[in-house]
Amino acid sequence: MFLNEFEIKQSRIFFEKGYLISEIQEKESLKYISDFFVNATSSYSTNIKINENFLDTLNDIHNSINVEELNSFRLFIIDSMAKDKKFREHYYFLSKNLLDIVVGNELAMQNRVNLSIQMPNDDSSLLPIHADTWSGDSPFEAVVWMPLVDCYDTKSMYLLSPEHLSKITNFKSGDEKSNDLFEYVKDDVEWIKIDYGQVMIFNQSLPHGNIINTTSETRWSMNCRFKSLFSPYGDKGIGEFFEPITTKPMTKLGLNYNFPF
Amino acid sequence: MKLRGYVFSRPFMNERVPQNIQNLVLRDFCNKNNFKYFLSATEYAMKDSHMILEKTINEIGNLDGIVMYSLRQLPEKKSYRYNLIEALIAKKKVIHFALENKYIDNLSNIELIDEIINIISIQNIQNNFIEKIANWHE
Repeated sequence: MFLNEFEIKQSRIFFEKGYLISEIQEKESLKYISDFFVNATSSYSTNIKINENFLDTLNDIHNSINVEELNSFRLFIIDSMAKDKKFREHYYFLSKNLLDIVVGNELAMQNRVNLSIQMPNDDSSLLPIHADTWSGDSPFEAVVWMPLVDCYDTKSMYLLSPEHLSKITNFKSGDEKSNDLFEYVKDDVEWIKIDYGQVMIFNQSLPHGNIINTTSETRWSMNCRFKSLFSPYGDKGIGEFFEPITTKPMTKLGLNYNFPF
Repeated sequence: MKLRGYVFSRPFMNERVPQNIQNLVLRDFCNKNNFKYFLSATEYAMKDSHMILEKTINEIGNLDGIVMYSLRQLPEKKSYRYNLIEALIAKKKVIHFALENKYIDNLSNIELIDEIINIISIQNIQNNFIEKIANWHE
């Protein structure tokens, strides 16, 4: 393979752990997205306490918004994200270095960036253990996951590493313990420790999810799927779910090629 | 904005969606965007036919445009596709694609739609090829 030493090392880590975490190098994109959340949050309601420290505002959002109001708040922010024409572009740029290594440079990106807000002790926003491929995603897709606050323990997500993946094939065996898949693998999952200012790319074919956030802070994170433009699509197709974002000139020429006679 | 619905009565680019579901999506799309939805025109079932789309464009009248279920329902042949869209744009009308939440209101934003259609076409060729190989190995 014609990969440099750094790419070989990063690829090996990705195969072994199922994810890569990197410091965000595109500070301008990080600032754009951070500012976006401060503005969107403050425009939702004047009752929200905006701290000088961006992280404090988001970490403590549960002191301004209650769980009953969380869904409408989240929809408001998601709608604002969708309306912002530059948001997805910045999201791509802050993860480009990872995407170049793990996925490629001619990409399709999910049309909408997703947002998770998980308040302390809230059981209404949980994602039980799953792999995206189990519900129709192509195994050629990767997820770029970006926290807006420092994430650790139950404030973060967990991932079943590739070395333990074979264990879940026994889940089908009817073992009594297998009534709850998470219970079955919980000693083998890795809780991702990732800080604001970092970004992660992970293999969504690996089982992952979250449980009730038992910390005293609210988790904010975004996720978005990327895939190589011409790799096979699953139930989520080009156009309705993905959109080409970095189509190269030779591909454009090829797509429009006609024999001259 | 007043939009005429447009749905298919045959499969399109390896997809099939029942007409009532297509209409549900169109109604929902128009509601969400505060567009006024006008009863859908249904394309003929004959292969490659876009006669109803042509007729809808010709008779668009004082409506603001068309809302189509999916951009996959546009003609696959590029020159024909361009002719139809140009005819609509020339009338200063718009065409929305509900499933993809995209639209064309001038010639400069055809490119992305075109690219997506071309990629789908290539994907379908690749998928058929993979299917053939899979069958060959059976």
